[in-house]
Amino acid sequence: MEKQNLYNDLIRILSMNISKIASTLGLICFCFIQVFAGGDWPQPKGKGYFKVSQWWLIADQHYTDVGQIDPNLTSGIFNSSLYAEYGLSQRLTGVVYFPFFSRNYFNNQVSATTGEILKAGEAINSIGDTDISFRYALTKPGSSIALSAAILLGLPLGENKGGSENALQTGDGEFNQMLQLGLGKSFGTDKIGIYTKLSVGVNNRTNDFSDEFRYGAELGFGILNSKLWLVTRLTGVESFQNGKLASEVVNSSIFANNAEFTSIGFEANYYLTKKIGLSAGYATAFRGQIIYAAPSYSVGVFYDMK
Amino acid sequence: MTKLYWTLPLLMVSACIGDDLVYDEVEPEVRIMNPIDTIEINTTYQFEAVYLNNVGVEGDLSSYLWASSAQEIISIEQNGLATALKAGTALISVSGLDPGGKQLRDEKLVVVGNSTVVSSNMRTGSLRTTSSYLLKGDFSLEKISGGVKLSFNANYEASTALPGLYVYLTNNLNTIDNALEIGAVKVFKGAHSYDLNGVDLNQYSHVLYFCKPFRVKVGDGPFAN
Repeated sequence: MEKQNLYNDLIRILSMNISKIASTLGLICFCFIQVFAGGDWPQPKGKGYFKVSQWWLIADQHYTDVGQIDPNLTSGIFNSSLYAEYGLSQRLTGVVYFPFFSRNYFNNQVSATTGEILKAGEAINSIGDTDISFRYALTKPGSSIALSAAILLGLPLGENKGGSENALQTGDGEFNQMLQLGLGKSFGTDKIGIYTKLSVGVNNRTNDFSDEFRYGAELGFGILNSKLWLVTRLTGVESFQNGKLASEVVNSSIFANNAEFTSIGFEANYYLTKKIGLSAGYATAFRGQIIYAAPSYSVGVFYDMK
Repeated sequence: MTKLYWTLPLLMVSACIGDDLVYDEVEPEVRIMNPIDTIEINTTYQFEAVYLNNVGVEGDLSSYLWASSAQEIISIEQNGLATALKAGTALISVSGLDPGGKQLRDEKLVVVGNSTVVSSNMRTGSLRTTSSYLLKGDFSLEKISGGVKLSFNANYEASTALPGLYVYLTNNLNTIDNALEIGAVKVFKGAHSYDLNGVDLNQYSHVLYFCKPFRVKVGDGPFAN
């Protein structure tokens, strides 16, 4: 019975792990969302998981095309989002990520000599690019080893060019389709839950953006009778470099192109009650190209139907 | 719990625009705009000078003080009008006191001879990257009718990884504000040129490359002469 409870908690915590690496590089500003949610274990039919969260990143430097770090005008990106998972059948889970409020801004540039504003800051606010995905359990629900396949559709609902230079974005302006395969395994004892999972995916992008190979690995521990789950996560994107160069695009809206990175993230999820909990996360890229070099943070409140 | 529910709205409104300081101070200077090599004996030549302040912007000085190191060879009035009196060489200088109390000065060696010879109509330089983005090549600025021609040699190369790479002429390497925007870079390798009307040969000290949308300085190139 204890093991069964632990396993149920594990399913829930996997459902919470919304991995968002929305990074912009001014230079090359891009936003994308990676959803490992639910991992490779499906939501039971009729059950769901919902989360309201805030994710943000403020960057004054970026990884250049050769992987070095250079300064840039400070830019901030804030996403307030709703994430929902729902078990459509015992094996099929529907997932929606909807950033209902997305904000991107540039700071003022002020002369340190004269105090004059050289360039006034700018901002755009809108809804952001939204993801809809379906995940199918290839292994029997309840298995300790879970294999799943997912298709994710990225809807370009955000603004892909705003501000005087068309450099502000709450979306990348392209419709992407990603196929993902995930493998997860749970183990541990009655007192501590442990899981690990791996995922790979290919992201097909439109509008002359380069396609991408994405990968991730995750390790989680559940302690305090599975009230607190601590997660560490490695996430990466490699570009196929088959899209247009930034310099070949007339406007500046194709910032998200040809970006690459590997990041590490940490997340804590705590159940305040049996169904409601809080989460907090931190992630940072330790290598990259054409991407902001700054940590991102997230906080959220979740409701778990159980 | 109530406090927790307020956390998200508070974070949403905290995304306020802040200030980035640009350290844009440069040495103020007085610059002779139309230097000349040789003035024909018994003729006059009108020198002109400009004052560039501590952010490299043209400003007004209360007065310019013109002087000749050899008044018997070249005499000069306080409006910059020089008269070549006899064969020889003189150092022509202009000076002034900027609003900060700093004494500024520029000088040119001028010869008096049988015919007037203007200084070179061409200035040259080499690009250098000041970032990790590629930028290299030699360039020249040549006086043409009504302005100047900025030409880049065959060894020119610039990064294609940036959206919105722009080229400027400037007297301040730290900012594109108050720089002359030539335009978005469209050629990333090889020889090319820009014709710039209404620009003086000696008006600017550097060629400057910036990623304009994100205010990333890519590199620059000082004029060697």
